[in-house]
Amino acid sequence: MTSRRYAVLPAGRPAEFPPDARARIERILSRYPTKQAALLPVLWVAQETWGWISREAAEEVARILELSPAHVSGVLTFYTMYNLEPVGRHLLQFCTSISCHLAGAGGLLEHCRRRLGIDLGQTTADGRFTMVEVECIAGCDRAPSMMIDDAYHEPMDPSKLDALLESLP
Amino acid sequence: MSAPAPPAPAAPPPPKKDTLTIVFDGKPIEVPPGINLIEAAKLAGIEIPHFCFHPRLSVVGQCRMCLVEIEGIPKIQAACTTPIKDGLAVKTTTQKVRESRAANMEFLLINHPLDCPICDQAGECKLQDNAFGYGEQRSRYDERKRQYAGYDRTAIGPHVVADMTRCIQCTRCIRFCQEIAGTGELTFLDRGGRTLVWTHDGKPLANDWSACAADVCPVGALTTKEFRFRRRVWDLKKTPSVCPGCNIGCNISIEDRDSVVYRFLPRLNPAVNDYWLCDYGRFLSESLNAREISKATVREGSDVRDAIVPAAVERIASEIRSTIETDGPSAIFFLGSAHLSNEENFLLRKIADHIGCGNRDVVVDRSRVRRMKSKTEWIEGDHAGANYAGARDMGLSPGPGGHGLTDVLEGRWIPQIVVVADASFAAAADDAEKVGRLRGARFLAVAARTANSLTRAADVVLPAASLAQKEGSFTNVQGRVQWFQRAFLPPPPARAHWELLLLLGVALGWGDRNWTPAAVRTQIREEVEGYDEVTEQELAGGGLMKKGLFVSTGAV
Ligand code: SF4
Ligand code: SF4
Ligand code: FES
Ligand code: FES
Repeated sequence: MTSRRYAVLPAGRPAEFPPDARARIERILSRYPTKQAALLPVLWVAQETWGWISREAAEEVARILELSPAHVSGVLTFYTMYNLEPVGRHLLQFCTSISCHLAGAGGLLEHCRRRLGIDLGQTTADGRFTMVEVECIAGCDRAPSMMIDDAYHEPMDPSKLDALLESLP
Repeated sequence: MSAPAPPAPAAPPPPKKDTLTIVFDGKPIEVPPGINLIEAAKLAGIEIPHFCFHPRLSVVGQCRMCLVEIEGIPKIQAACTTPIKDGLAVKTTTQKVRESRAANMEFLLINHPLDCPICDQAGECKLQDNAFGYGEQRSRYDERKRQYAGYDRTAIGPHVVADMTRCIQCTRCIRFCQEIAGTGELTFLDRGGRTLVWTHDGKPLANDWSACAADVCPVGALTTKEFRFRRRVWDLKKTPSVCPGCNIGCNISIEDRDSVVYRFLPRLNPAVNDYWLCDYGRFLSESLNAREISKATVREGSDVRDAIVPAAVERIASEIRSTIETDGPSAIFFLGSAHLSNEENFLLRKIADHIGCGNRDVVVDRSRVRRMKSKTEWIEGDHAGANYAGARDMGLSPGPGGHGLTDVLEGRWIPQIVVVADASFAAAADDAEKVGRLRGARFLAVAARTANSLTRAADVVLPAASLAQKEGSFTNVQGRVQWFQRAFLPPPPARAHWELLLLLGVALGWGDRNWTPAAVRTQIREEVEGYDEVTEQELAGGGLMKKGLFVSTGAV
């Protein structure tokens, strides 16, 4: 997100991992020497379970891993790829670092803003898209580069983006 | 065929040293193993500037201030993370070291407000000291400094105020909460230039020792609400004392100016409180400034009149003398206090002995269990007075056939005279029913600093000193006898409890007006079992276990 909040993870629903996620966590724990070491992958399980990580989810992870909730908050706010608030079904991640910027990332971003009527960090009213800005995603050779969810789309241009936005559910 | 050469006799193993030799700037020094270069340098009298290193917290190498050159290692090294080994040659004054320190200071100051004149840490700030000692005069940074709107000058808990614009990200506070308090409230949030120390979800930093986070903070990023902006620290005078809060007896410095106590700070004693102090004890400091009883008073019928102290003492003595004549000494009751020193409780017991009275006692309220981490272990205390153990040692329990406080409070015995050495000995002293029982005596005398039901009921009230206004010793829950010194004199005519008791003793024909607490301690050594080894030097050096049990108090 463009401006990450410092202290507060917003409240969500009470977080209890569903059985299959719990089983995944157990498998992850068996591969690490300490519970603390499994924090990052367990947070991924949380994000995959709920789409974002709420205060309650962070506290539940802290409880399972026997860490202080503050420690989990610290890790969550350090890494940028954990979503600290609900996001749309698709996360549009625009690289605006130097190579992409020179190759027209600014115009692309502006185009998307206008088309979806939202700004960076916001989600469309129908819950389909959230727009965020990211630092270099190592696609400089095919700039401007962007990621939609876990997939690279590059080089990107406004008409390709329009087509993609149409096709995504 | 030649016979195989006989095996060469094994060289004798070199004598085993239990110290290591480190050469600092060409000067060798012997140091014990297991310490790091910063501590070793300190033993050599050399200061290696640092921020993040703290002797009781894990070593993280976070601040990069402690850079030194080590012979044989091409790159400059962080002294805190370098374990020592025999023969290490360290240079702390070379150009390379000086330049590295200056560069580090320049980085640290890029985002620092540098408004020391309005920062409460000034005068005890490592950043200020190290900038002055090792930094450059000017910074090349002209741009805007980072600000933390919403995270500056904000209470982060009941006692600690956080100002993240001043934080240098040393993590000492985080490590304190995690490693010493064990509560882990603090963490770094966010990253890079926006990193800040805060709690999870804005929860309060509210462990029992939270103000220690402000103590370990080398800068003004964490300060205490209670002390903030009340005094510049260089105006304050430090006096070694002992916390009055509970029977752990943490070592403190009383900091005062013009006879006003501004704060308690922990005073290092690895065997008791190490570098720490609990919030409850620390913030008792303000209570030392209360003064409600500033004159001696004597009740005449329904009138309460002011009196001079010697006259009020003489009044108590004459009541005691006449009661001895009419009813004998066993109609008198002496109550000591866990808030009073060994010397004072000893004097009270000696007065009782002198007139042949076995009715004496000391009681103390139970408090919630307080815990304090010494260098090696957790200590627990649950008495609301610092010197219950000492008062009992001084003989303040009922003698053979004598009565104690519960006999009086439960109405089994009504003495003629009650002498209470400390009017706030326990909660009972402000309980109308219990005071009514004590008031059942024909004559009731107390020494006091603050007013309560007991002082209002008493016939004679003597104005007494606070902890800061007198000298003495307490014996803590470990049996450690610890000395507290006087920070300033009580406002006349108030006097230390021991002086008042000595006046009473002299008026009754025992003791010497010129005795000091030290003179009383000489008698304690002679008369009280287990106190014979507690010398004055040892008291001054951080306290000693009575019963001749020596415990190292070596400072780190
Ligand atoms: S608040 Fe103080 S102790 Fe904590 S990291 Fe910042 S400078 Fe260090
Ligand atoms: S633990 Fe007891 S002696 Fe130590 S600071 Fe707290 S109240 Fe004072
Ligand atoms: S600058 Fe955009 S991918 Fe590297
Ligand atoms: S004291 Fe060595 S890096 Fe901070």
